[in-house]
Amino acid sequence: MITTIKTKTTKGIISVVSAMTLLLSLGSCQDFLDVQPEDKLAEEQMYRNVNDADAAVIGIYGKFMGLAKKYVILNEMRADLMTTTANSSPYLKQLSEHNETADNPYVSPKDFYELILNCNDALKNFDIMLAEKRFKQEEYNQRYSDIGCIRSWVYLQLGIQYGSVPYITDPIENIDDVKNISKYPRISFNQLIENLVDFTENLPFKKPYPEGTNLRTSVDGYSTEYFFINKECLLGDLNLWKGDYLMAASYYKKVLETSTGAASSAYLFDKYRLSWSAANIMVSYISGRELDTNGLLNSDTEGWRSIFSRPVDAQWTYEWIWSLPFDSEFAPANPFISFFSKNSGDYQAKPSQSAMDRWNSETQTNGFPYDARGPKYTYKMVGGEPVIMKYLYKYESAGDPFKTEGDWFLYRAAKLHLRYAEAANRDNEHRIADGIYNRGGIRGAFTRPGLNTGSDDVTNEMQTHKPFPYDFKCREGQFPYYRDDWYRASLGVRGRANLLRKEVVGDSLISIENNLIDEAALELAYEGNRWEDLVRIARRRNDPSYLANKIYDKLSKEGNAEAENVKAKLMNPDNWYLPFNW
Amino acid sequence: MISLKNNYKRLFAGVLALAVISCSNPWDDRENNDDANLSVTLTEAISNSSEISQFAALLKETGYDKVLAASKTYTVFAPTNAAMAEVDTAILDDADALKQFVANHIALTAYSSVRSEDVRVRMLSNKYLDFEGTSDIDGATIITADHYAANGVFHIIDHALTPKLNIWEYVNSQAGTSAMADYLLSLKEFSIYESDIDAKALSEEEGAGYRADSLTNSYLKNVYNLNNERNNYTLFLMKDAGYSTEVNKMKPYTIKVSNDVTVDSTAIYAGYFTLRDLAFAKKYKKSELPASLVSQFGVEVPIDQTKIVEEIHLSNGIVYIMDQVEVPLSSRLLTRQIEGEKNISFINGPRSAIKYRDKKDNSLAFYPEPTLFYDVIVTNPGTGRFMLDYNAKDLYSTTYKVYWRAINDFQTNVINQSLRVAGKFKFEGDTRTVSDLVEHFDPVAVQPNVYTEVYIGEFTLDTARNLDLISLIAADNTTNGNNSLTLDYLKFVPQVKPIP
Repeated sequence: MITTIKTKTTKGIISVVSAMTLLLSLGSCQDFLDVQPEDKLAEEQMYRNVNDADAAVIGIYGKFMGLAKKYVILNEMRADLMTTTANSSPYLKQLSEHNETADNPYVSPKDFYELILNCNDALKNFDIMLAEKRFKQEEYNQRYSDIGCIRSWVYLQLGIQYGSVPYITDPIENIDDVKNISKYPRISFNQLIENLVDFTENLPFKKPYPEGTNLRTSVDGYSTEYFFINKECLLGDLNLWKGDYLMAASYYKKVLETSTGAASSAYLFDKYRLSWSAANIMVSYISGRELDTNGLLNSDTEGWRSIFSRPVDAQWTYEWIWSLPFDSEFAPANPFISFFSKNSGDYQAKPSQSAMDRWNSETQTNGFPYDARGPKYTYKMVGGEPVIMKYLYKYESAGDPFKTEGDWFLYRAAKLHLRYAEAANRDNEHRIADGIYNRGGIRGAFTRPGLNTGSDDVTNEMQTHKPFPYDFKCREGQFPYYRDDWYRASLGVRGRANLLRKEVVGDSLISIENNLIDEAALELAYEGNRWEDLVRIARRRNDPSYLANKIYDKLSKEGNAEAENVKAKLMNPDNWYLPFNW
Repeated sequence: MISLKNNYKRLFAGVLALAVISCSNPWDDRENNDDANLSVTLTEAISNSSEISQFAALLKETGYDKVLAASKTYTVFAPTNAAMAEVDTAILDDADALKQFVANHIALTAYSSVRSEDVRVRMLSNKYLDFEGTSDIDGATIITADHYAANGVFHIIDHALTPKLNIWEYVNSQAGTSAMADYLLSLKEFSIYESDIDAKALSEEEGAGYRADSLTNSYLKNVYNLNNERNNYTLFLMKDAGYSTEVNKMKPYTIKVSNDVTVDSTAIYAGYFTLRDLAFAKKYKKSELPASLVSQFGVEVPIDQTKIVEEIHLSNGIVYIMDQVEVPLSSRLLTRQIEGEKNISFINGPRSAIKYRDKKDNSLAFYPEPTLFYDVIVTNPGTGRFMLDYNAKDLYSTTYKVYWRAINDFQTNVINQSLRVAGKFKFEGDTRTVSDLVEHFDPVAVQPNVYTEVYIGEFTLDTARNLDLISLIAADNTTNGNNSLTLDYLKFVPQVKPIP
């Protein structure tokens, strides 16, 4: 049925309306309708000067912190030190048992790529700003390198978790294009590492933001000095993955020597050197009560656990290289309290029996049958169940359910020492590697028995006599007087934990490497390093059983019926990686 | 035009169909599911069922019909008329007993016969009944289950749920006929421990249970509160002959000097230390009784089923009337182990000299496999005669053999330490004096790296008592290394006396 409107009487009106519309639309060509919204920024309003660039950097770090929980869960729940509780969601159980389903929210790489695209966008705009001379070359170098490193860090994580991924360095508008294989083909993990090393080594600036820059300041009571990624640590890690061990050791060594050249001071001798003088961050006992279990230093500011609970003071800065704080006053909120706490949270994860057995099979120098880092500091028994404490100390000492302070622990001196030792060991510097990590430290390893530092001439003693990056001078002498930069490095990672020396058995290379990764489990548990350590070593040795046996140990010790199946599955390296999809 | 007409017809048919369907409005139907039961209260539903008419009448008589017409949710276990005929007329004739009787059939929550687990149902009588499986309520059987009404559910059962006494009420009911019951009741007057006196006074003032332990009887306070309806217990009640045999066996070990000639405290304590091992915090049905049970005080009690005279089911558990519960003295007399790391005080030196150690014994000399243990050592006190102090309560009047396990793995020279066992001490200014010394053993040399238990000697107590000051004493030597102490544990093993 066709309906027609009778138009005779209205034609005139229409022509008048049309005319007025035309008139109005001509008028609106003027600017008065083109008002910028007050609560949004248009693209051309961003990136006008160095302050805008700084805002972009801070924005990216804010977004980066949103990855904290996922980073810890993927690297710990999939590995052997952390396991599920009765409260854990089925998705966490899947991660623990390596049978993730497509709808598992922890599996999606989408948020990694959202951050990467943000980085790409910022990097493109930094280029434009430089071309248009909106900031200085030096300012460009610092910010471009920082964001470039964050992107490389995220890509390295993607490689570790997903194996082959698309390497995208252009800004793209639509995140879902990332999944489009024809547009962005996926490259192998090896190729990815090559690309990352290339890109990151060519960045123009590799040091922390120097003092005096706007980004090195104090925000809401937090010094930003340790907010930003340490580029040399990242380059060390990338080269360690690549297998360029001399290069890796070189980058790590530069960080180890952060304070070198400073005037003689605690800063010079203690910063990142695991010095005996940083007495408040070791496993130690009240003087004279070394044999008393109640004499163990264990408070917010005393003992090894204070690494995770002390305020930012001198000793904190001797350990921490990269740490991002969560504050209850501003976003993003601390995700770890609800995840780990039993009293105030959901208690979704706990230490595995396998991990607890590791700590409890060690012996301290006073004969106590455990590594205090485990049962005394890293976890605590609450109502008969073990609770992971590293992330909870600040919250618990605040004693206020709304004070959800805490940190994302990213890089610290102990990790640096272990990674440096790993690189040195692979570079055939076994004695240095063992010295750095084992009881006695680098100084102990190069001090001849019977040497008397009070009376002997130590000019040619207590040093490695090697070129960079294996040059350590640890001399302490009176006649002539010496106090070398490394003279206080007499602990080693293991000595700092009050543990007996761990012997090197059989082939030095493999034995020391095993010792280093075992030590990392004791020292760095739940800081998000474990899965990456297992994958790195298993790949390097081309030995899937290195990884599979550890996961098997975790599952079989808790009576998981799937233990054998999971082990068989992980004997195929393809099954180490998560499905790339969202 | 023809096609247009057809379209109209289709449209008309469609509209008509819609109109017909919408005559039944599911939203309006939600309230009307034709279940007449849900429009009446439990009171009405019960009075409509002829097989339980007598119980319905009692509901009315006691006023519970009004309760069951309320808008709360109830479960009623309604006995049949045949079941009601068996009920003791004494109950039916006593208004208070009748009210309690009816209340014992009603619970303030709906319990269906289909549940995933057994429940202990609290009835309006404040008694708890076990609802097991789909049809067993406190021994009665559900004939027809799950009659729903608007405010709950009722089940028809084949026996009335006459309220039972609880265990303590039962013990009270045996007063004058059972010597053991009389004894238990006498602990209302007589306080076994001094702290009982305050607790009894408080329960007198504020009502029993004002605090968890403010109870009126030393047995209820120190063993189990058998008057508590919420938990289940098992009590073994011995007949007079068996009871006196067991208590007499214990008397040589509980010798007490009484300051009142009319009170035989030895007998009272013998009774207490015999009977405290006869109550258990679980309901053991006869079929569940194991060959022996371990009391909360650590005594293994053999259960000889042939000695069971009667099994009495009560509202909070079971009482077994026994000819005798025979416990050999070797089990009854408990070895006392005192952990070195649990010292109560120290003297003659600084706190920093004491070290509490977490250790693992890998020697296999004592434990069959590497075993964690905790001990205490004293090193470098800088003073002589450093003392670690302990105490022990409720020791028997007998001879004790003393052992210790003391590990000297922290110094190469021998540790000479001695043990002093004393009853009381007092302070005069800063000086501590021991007022009744029981035994001061000669110093013992603790050789390095000995991981076994070592026999120290023996002491004898003439009366059953507490020892408030047991001290491990270092050598009188101010040179560090020669004044250390070490102790994993002390062990006092009571000896059975020869039968005269």
